Amino acid sequence: MIAAALPGAVVEVVDETGAGDHLRATVTAPQFAGLSRLDQHRLVRAAVKERFDDGQIHALSIKTEAAG
Amino acid sequence: MADPQLKQKVEELIAANPVLLFMKGTPEAPRCGFSMRVVQVLDAMDVEYGAIDVLPALQPLREATAEISDWQTFPQLYVNGELIGGADLVEETFESGELAEALGVEQPAEASQAAAPAQAPPAQSPPLQIE
Repeated sequence: MIAAALPGAVVEVVDETGAGDHLRATVTAPQFAGLSRLDQHRLVRAAVKERFDDGQIHALSIKTEAAG
Repeated sequence: MADPQLKQKVEELIAANPVLLFMKGTPEAPRCGFSMRVVQVLDAMDVEYGAIDVLPALQPLREATAEISDWQTFPQLYVNGELIGGADLVEETFESGELAEALGVEQPAEASQAAAPAQAPPAQSPPLQIE
């Protein structure tokens, strides 16, 4: 889902509790270049907003890095 | 669309408090692991901060901060009117020393240790019973 919103992104998602609703995502994306970390996080949050809205995800920990 | 009065109130609070944390629960009793992580960082920095429990008005506050800062999740830490971020970014900027710089304090020596991910629930010692 994150990779679809950010083409070229390398996404690693860890299910922290085994229940699938508390996730930790590490995202490296070319789109992050030049963006503040706040904006990088905003992009990731926006990509998964639907899953938050429908309650499939309760908590998401995010770590972002610009590619390259 | 956020309630204009609430939005204005939130903006005033952010402007009036040099260090302001919107969190779930209170610093003494955080009701969310992410909020607890930010409280731990602020405690390690030994700074005074204002804390607002968002739980009584979660959705209206989400709408307000979405408009103010384009950020809808809590916790949110503001320093001098600027959003630092949620728990992940608070810890990242803490470890890098940027948070100390923003706060105008010295980086605590035990920074990396204090910022270790707090996965476990808060330690709860059983009440002492003296008979």
